[in-house]
Amino acid sequence: MALKSESEYATDPDSDTRRSLLRHMLVARGIDEEARQLHKQGALDLWPSCQGQEAAQVGSALAVGPAPTVFPSYREHAVALLRGVTPDELFAQWAGRTFCGWDPRRVRFFPYTMVLAAQTLHAVGYSIGQRLQGLEDFVVVYIGDGATSEGDMSEAMNLAAVESAAVLFVCQNNGWAISKPAEEQMRTSVAERARGFGIESVRVPGQDPETVYSSCSRAAAHVRGERAPYLVEIQVGRIHGHSTSDAQEVYRTPDDIAQTRAADPVPAYAARLSGLGLVDTAWFDAVDEEVRELRERLTKEYV
Amino acid sequence: MSTVRSASLAESINTALADLLEQEPRLLLLGEDIGRLGGVFRVTRGLQERFGKDRVRDALLAESTIVGQAVGMAMSGLVPVCEIQFDGFTYPAVNQLVTQAARIGGRWNGQVSPSLVVRIPTGGGFRGVEHHSESNEALFARLPGISVACPSTGEDADQILRYAVTLGSPVVMYEPIRLYWQRNTPARAPEPARSPTAARVVRRGTDLTIATYGAITHEVLEAAHALDPDVDVEVVDLRWVAPLDMDTVLRSVARTGRLLIVHEGSKDVGIGAEIAAAVAERGFDALRGPVRRLAPDRRPYPPADFEKGYLIGVQAIKDEVLVMTK
Repeated sequence: MALKSESEYATDPDSDTRRSLLRHMLVARGIDEEARQLHKQGALDLWPSCQGQEAAQVGSALAVGPAPTVFPSYREHAVALLRGVTPDELFAQWAGRTFCGWDPRRVRFFPYTMVLAAQTLHAVGYSIGQRLQGLEDFVVVYIGDGATSEGDMSEAMNLAAVESAAVLFVCQNNGWAISKPAEEQMRTSVAERARGFGIESVRVPGQDPETVYSSCSRAAAHVRGERAPYLVEIQVGRIHGHSTSDAQEVYRTPDDIAQTRAADPVPAYAARLSGLGLVDTAWFDAVDEEVRELRERLTKEYV
Repeated sequence: MSTVRSASLAESINTALADLLEQEPRLLLLGEDIGRLGGVFRVTRGLQERFGKDRVRDALLAESTIVGQAVGMAMSGLVPVCEIQFDGFTYPAVNQLVTQAARIGGRWNGQVSPSLVVRIPTGGGFRGVEHHSESNEALFARLPGISVACPSTGEDADQILRYAVTLGSPVVMYEPIRLYWQRNTPARAPEPARSPTAARVVRRGTDLTIATYGAITHEVLEAAHALDPDVDVEVVDLRWVAPLDMDTVLRSVARTGRLLIVHEGSKDVGIGAEIAAAVAERGFDALRGPVRRLAPDRRPYPPADFEKGYLIGVQAIKDEVLVMTK
């Protein structure tokens, strides 16, 4: 299935939404940088960076709104922050203090799941359980390309399809299952695979948050309107290794890494909104100041 | 030998499940063929007609799907009681049971207390084909966060089920297939258990304690009755293998001074090893002789023609007791 071109998503988010997209991306990038720094200082044991995936995460999370419960994998830091998980709550498990640092019910962002794809079945079961009790049953579950090889992902897609569960699958395909490239993991796209299970799907580029926002808005409307599952596959880049323990220079070419960095969605979107006159220096200064304060608090808490 | 006639294990479980569905609106059943068919052993017969398809759910033929969705349902506040069709088909669900169901309470810092029950038909002695006659309870007994029950009567299964659905952490209950429709069973002492999780002294005796659980409890009782009056055997039906009620075992060993452990699951690194070690640590002074175990060797459950040679029979139990009390 070919990637749809961005022009097919003409429904532009309004100016406030665009600024919100950028602000969340910048905050997530700053917090991710701080985590990498704290790991170097020995304050965090491990950090799976989400750099390169901010547009996909922020675009999808803003599009679905605050109502659905989110079942993340373990790299959805931008979604966590957007949902109201505080940076120090987010870091707690990576500093070995707990298995989950936030209140999952308060933010409707459930704990990270380290065993790949296990959360996909929880998400479908939760949605069915909510529906049976007459409660909000719209659920969003995040998954990476690597985890789609797990049997639980196929089982969850089939279960969601036959139960017509209100589950939005968001697959962030960053092209790598640690060191295994996507073309060696699958012969079709994840989106095409979803269709084989009877799940409507779309595959979109993940560099522009507005593309993601538009496609996820439509996907969410489908889930709510049809009371049926949907899968959005978002093609993203992985700027850093799988985690701080990874050494991607061993298995990726310098060119490939350089290209991914060049396609970094955060500066690209900042430049775009600047060019459109939607944000100015004062706006950036305010966001920088917010990020600086958050990072200072993290340093105090964790060093 | 004295036997009694009572409701079968399957009938007792069916009644208990019906009562629970009646009393607890958040409870639902989930398993392969449990609705339309009433289960391959008919344990859930009639329940879907009575409680509807939403609450007695015919699951996809995928064990990870059954337990994985049950974990999600428990997160939403429901109380899922799952059925795995046969013991040997549990393995695809092990990841969801071990890494998820057993751990979400801790991962959620206590904000989720999943009362999630997995019922598993178990054991041999009915000429089952490959994988249909196994006993893998020791596997789960090792895992923190999962309680493992092995009732040997309908009365015990009833008490355990009613307790399990309120526990707030996962319970795996093993139901001996060869007892499902058996009505005549060896007589037992009428003493009730001290609590839903306690072991039960099902025969009082003075010479030797046999600790056992599950279907083979009946062979143990038959052997004990047959040895009377030459040897007076006390029989402890553990009912749960995780956590183990070691207090009841130790009190019994303090009275008799001898301990034999009998189980149908294979011997090595099994439940018997744990009991023997605990008695060596905490009850050594009471022992008049070595603790011994009687259980199948470490090998796969054989084809049906050979299962008699694998299973521990009444004669082997009698022989072992006589060796220990000689």
